[in-house]
Amino acid sequence: MAERVRVDARGAYCPGPLMELIAALRLVPVGEEVEVWSSDKGSAADIPEWIKKARHELVGVEPREAYWSIVVRKAR
Amino acid sequence: MAETPLYIVLCSGEHEKVQMAAMMAAIGAVSERPVAVFVSMNAILAFARDASDDERYRGGAFSDLMKAKRAPDALNLFRQGKELGDLKMWACSMALDVQGWSLDQLVAGLFDGPLGLTSFLSDAQAGQLVTL
Repeated sequence: MAERVRVDARGAYCPGPLMELIAALRLVPVGEEVEVWSSDKGSAADIPEWIKKARHELVGVEPREAYWSIVVRKAR
Repeated sequence: MAETPLYIVLCSGEHEKVQMAAMMAAIGAVSERPVAVFVSMNAILAFARDASDDERYRGGAFSDLMKAKRAPDALNLFRQGKELGDLKMWACSMALDVQGWSLDQLVAGLFDGPLGLTSFLSDAQAGQLVTL
């Protein structure tokens, strides 16, 4: 597996982190993971919801000191 | 199951409403919902090709906050929605006529064409209609 792509969207407000994640997901092959860092509280809840709706796989959501790490595996 | 299309009539030029339309359009489009935005009345002024950000985004207290905190730019959100999903934007033909504008005087690359309200409403019967 290639090294996980990381999107640093800290400081961006909704829906910035989601849009950055989607743009990154388009560029990786199916099966690869993308990690997004978001300091936006709403995005920490909304991004997993989008992942479910878009039928990708949520690998994990982890609160860090002042942001969330959300990891998604591209499923299709 | 196919997603229900989302139709947005944007007629306010207030920054807050333009921003909400952009957020709804972008999120809807990336969530695999076909989205169509019909821009009319004062809202058309927010899409003037040569406007500065201050001229384009006029609103109230929340507009000031969004500018200060660098919320995502509404035009960029519309662009991202078009790039990442099925988002179409239509300029109200009446608004263009009253303003004396052609499509060339609107922000490049956003609009799919001019359209009359009758056609838009006819299409919108197939989905959910939101007016801002």
